[in-house]
Amino acid sequence: MRVRHRDGALEPVDVTRIVTAVARCADDLDQVDPLRVATRTIGGLYDGATTEELDRLSVQTAADLIGEEPQYSRLAARLLAGLIADEVAGQGITTFSSGIRYNHELGLVSDATARFVAAHAAELDVLVDMSADRRFEFFGMRTVHDRYLLRHPHTRLVVETPQHWLLRVTCGLARDVAEATELYRLLASLAYLPSSPTLFNAGTAHSQMSSCYLVDSPRDELESIYERYSQVARLSKFAGGIGIGFSRVRSRGALIRGTNGRSNGIVPWLRTLDASVAAVNQGGRRKGAACVYLETWHPDVEEFLELRDNTGEDARRTHNLNLAHWVPDLFMRRVHADEVWSLIDPDEVPELPDLWGADFEAAYLAAEAAGRFVRQLPARDLYTRMMRTLAQTGNGWMTFKDAANRTGNQTAEPGNVIHLSNLCTEILEVSSDTETAVCNLGSINLARHLVNADAEAGDNGADPADPAARMDWAALRATVRTAVTFLDRVIDINYYPTPEAAASNPRWRPIGLGVMGLQDVFFALRLPFDSEAARELSTRLAEEIALTALERSVELAREHGPHPAFAQTRAAQGVLHPDHFDVTPTQTARWAALRAAVATHGLRNCLLLAIAPTATIASIAGCYECIEPQVSNVFKRETLSGEFLQINGYLVNELKHRGLWTTAVRERIKAADGSVQSIDELPDDVRALFRTAWELPQRALIDMAAARMPYIDQSQSLNLFMADPNIGRLSSMYAHAWASGLKTTYYLRSRPATRIQQATVATSITQAVPSPSAAEAVACSLENPETCEACQ
Amino acid sequence: MTTIIHETTTRPDAPATRRPRGLLLDPGMNLTLRPMRYPAFYDRYRAAIRNTWTVEEVDLHSDLSDLHRLSDAERHLVNRLVAFFATGDTIVANNLVLNLYRHVNAPEARLYLSRQLFEEATHVQFYLTLLDTYLPDPDERARAFDAVENIPSIRAKAQFCYQWIDSLGDLDRLSTREDRRAFLLNLICFAACIEGLFFYGAFAYVYFLRSRGLLHGLASGTNWVFRDESMHMEFALDVVATVRAEEPDLVDAAFEADVRRMLADAVDVETSFAEDLLAGGVAGMTVADMRRYLEHVADRRLGQLGFTPLFGSTNPFSFLDLQDVQELSNFFERRVSSYRVAVEGSISFDEEF
Repeated sequence: MRVRHRDGALEPVDVTRIVTAVARCADDLDQVDPLRVATRTIGGLYDGATTEELDRLSVQTAADLIGEEPQYSRLAARLLAGLIADEVAGQGITTFSSGIRYNHELGLVSDATARFVAAHAAELDVLVDMSADRRFEFFGMRTVHDRYLLRHPHTRLVVETPQHWLLRVTCGLARDVAEATELYRLLASLAYLPSSPTLFNAGTAHSQMSSCYLVDSPRDELESIYERYSQVARLSKFAGGIGIGFSRVRSRGALIRGTNGRSNGIVPWLRTLDASVAAVNQGGRRKGAACVYLETWHPDVEEFLELRDNTGEDARRTHNLNLAHWVPDLFMRRVHADEVWSLIDPDEVPELPDLWGADFEAAYLAAEAAGRFVRQLPARDLYTRMMRTLAQTGNGWMTFKDAANRTGNQTAEPGNVIHLSNLCTEILEVSSDTETAVCNLGSINLARHLVNADAEAGDNGADPADPAARMDWAALRATVRTAVTFLDRVIDINYYPTPEAAASNPRWRPIGLGVMGLQDVFFALRLPFDSEAARELSTRLAEEIALTALERSVELAREHGPHPAFAQTRAAQGVLHPDHFDVTPTQTARWAALRAAVATHGLRNCLLLAIAPTATIASIAGCYECIEPQVSNVFKRETLSGEFLQINGYLVNELKHRGLWTTAVRERIKAADGSVQSIDELPDDVRALFRTAWELPQRALIDMAAARMPYIDQSQSLNLFMADPNIGRLSSMYAHAWASGLKTTYYLRSRPATRIQQATVATSITQAVPSPSAAEAVACSLENPETCEACQ
Repeated sequence: MTTIIHETTTRPDAPATRRPRGLLLDPGMNLTLRPMRYPAFYDRYRAAIRNTWTVEEVDLHSDLSDLHRLSDAERHLVNRLVAFFATGDTIVANNLVLNLYRHVNAPEARLYLSRQLFEEATHVQFYLTLLDTYLPDPDERARAFDAVENIPSIRAKAQFCYQWIDSLGDLDRLSTREDRRAFLLNLICFAACIEGLFFYGAFAYVYFLRSRGLLHGLASGTNWVFRDESMHMEFALDVVATVRAEEPDLVDAAFEADVRRMLADAVDVETSFAEDLLAGGVAGMTVADMRRYLEHVADRRLGQLGFTPLFGSTNPFSFLDLQDVQELSNFFERRVSSYRVAVEGSISFDEEF
């Protein structure tokens, strides 16, 4: 077997060289066998392959072994980091500052960042900590390489290493070296990451760093609708996610006075929006994405529900848009009471979108009494359709208008109304025809705030009696303070793609600080997700983060003044977010001091907290997503970078300790779609700990979210999971979510109706697993794991 | 009405008088759904409906830029593969219409076959759309669609299939034991060799490319095709098992020897295809590994038929492990493919969740 070198020479492939290279990366990975990686790599090669192919194949070979031994994930990440370093060095980039110079000349890095780095080159160059690369898992490193590192405009080679990237982001936000040191060290530790737009764009020539834009519904006229398309396109271009209302636009059949014709309703407009969103390619990194919000009284709501169906007339479908219901309390009450619901045209009663609570109900009831509705139907019929759409498409998210406005800090004065949430249902901010709400996000990796966070996953001496003692609260406070500082900083230096966005953000200065890795914490502390101790700890964490964030915002207000619209907020009237809920915070003295400080100095930010889904940044940080339970002990991620196996490292350690990490057990877990409930060798408490989202009572997820709600002044991207949904259980679940005071919910996740026959699991196992019928899938659900025979 | 149906399904030839509802392969056009003889077939029909997907849902937009990133060897692989897909499903659909539908005499089984025919049509449409997208040049496109004629490795696969289609010839009714054995061999050929081996081989290339981050549109559509095909294969094997239970004497040592020879031939034909596909050298996928994988799959098919393995090979492709694992889609990246079509029940506020 020969390989072709860069100069064209053919040479026999050198096993020892590969072994040495692998061993160097694996010095702290005791389960890795360098010789095995080397021989497998050579086995997959063809005669005359290039050395680049050899290097790439060695990364892939290591990655292919992750399913057997998770340590190969770190190895693959490090081998890939080596390739990246070679690629960057091959272009003459030796230090961070020389890279910035190079990338500035290419037009990639902004003038300001280039100047800042040039002025502090020596101090910044020594900050770079190459060993921080060792914290990455393979999927994280791969994601960084494929999508986050800057690339040469023509050769498409990467022109920064992962650590250069984090420091570039830092230098795009910091004002001096002390600040840069503080932020870079935090990012390199993976204890906190700002959201993707900031990671993509900070320090570059296109510094659009905000994640979310909330675009108010177009006015009920042609010009306004087309103006919104243009606004959405410009916001999408630089990686923003869009929420847009459509409740002001008249429904099908309404009169168009200008032409004396009848309107075709909102569906054709949404089709155009759909095409427009799909056409915008966010810098080649991902497609545009948007969510449309519609109030439940809009007469087109039933057609809206069908937009994502994959049957029916394609001219009335939108495959790219996400859909959400902006539900008033009155509707939910009528569903409960089994009463009639009136669909009212916004052309007829145009004030409805701008009203909530008692004012909305008065206007709605008056219109209804006067017969100014298009038609009526039983509220339960509509609710049933909403539930069915959730089950069929996962879309049609339930978000609650009145809870959002009642507890919103910005809605103290009439006219300041929250009309919608964003693409991921965690942002709740006021918007209007002239103001598009903006939010920049960041998430704390809770897994990195455990005492001994660097200890191997699952390997700890937790005292289950006092899980809070295992959290590093001082480190958490420090992280929150740094995070708030730089989320606030984004507002001042951000590039706003539209005047409507630029009009809103400097007035209100909202930020969205969230968390990820909650499931890691629960695994490390051995707390089942639905235990009271887990809920208690989750609530304490939320309180600590909210309190510290507010304290930091007061300090920023003392330095720079409160945000200009502070006088219009509930906080200015002395009302803080927890006051809307029936709770007593644990840190009463700090809250009292905070209240006094807010009264004196105001707040720099009208809103501070929002739990985003963190899909991509959790991958980079190597932790579980936001506040979510694990979806499976073994699953794969499909992204534009390829497919990646993800294994629960906490479970692997548990199985290893028990001598159960064998091929047979692995196959059984795989055959059971990542469930360990059929692994009888594990004691009950261990199986309870490692349940998946499908196996947990969803009531516990909702109750945990409700318990932290007082400390989240915006909202949470709360996914709910039901393997085999039916209308009865769904209607019960969403009624409970509403009654618990949740402001929003996100996807309903369900399982495929049937699945592909497994290709690699031995047939003796799969033959016993027929494609589950609906009845069998119900038996599989977690209420009765003992009676489930489908997967034994 | 019922009476009329019974009259039309009463077979003139004798054995039916003892078994008024007949056997699955008895000639005729049974129309009686109640009482249902084979409820499992009907369940499969309903399960298939819950998996409805449409070609329009597959997003091919990133594939076009990927095609430019491929090496010459990889592009050769992709072009050959798509050329095979373009004709493979049509052959399966033809056999379904010409042979299976005619001879599997239970209305609930024919419901499933009707559904399968629709799915095959969707697959053909998917690969048609794919070829039109991948090959903008009309001449190249025409050559790809004509692969059966002008690409020897694909021609060999088609000939293998025709051999088992033709073996049934113009049999209008499966009157004799020999007829029924010929039918079973045809069914096993399509289930175990074509859907269960040729397609599994083809899917392996697609998943190999995806594991390298290439051609997501092809992979996501193929994922749905694969899901359908694995259901088709299971249905067919179910029919085989049912027939064997009803008529145990059909399968004997000679029959088993035929099946083993058929699978060995199929592995050889598919290995030749691999030699063609991988001729340019593709790092991470060798002909030797591909053959081992095919042998492993062939052994699985024999196992599903209750026969002992022929090769004793293990699966060398760890990227295929990924196909057995649940996916977690990020909607920023792609659409969630796993939604369902039928949802039951009515409103309630006190159910556990």
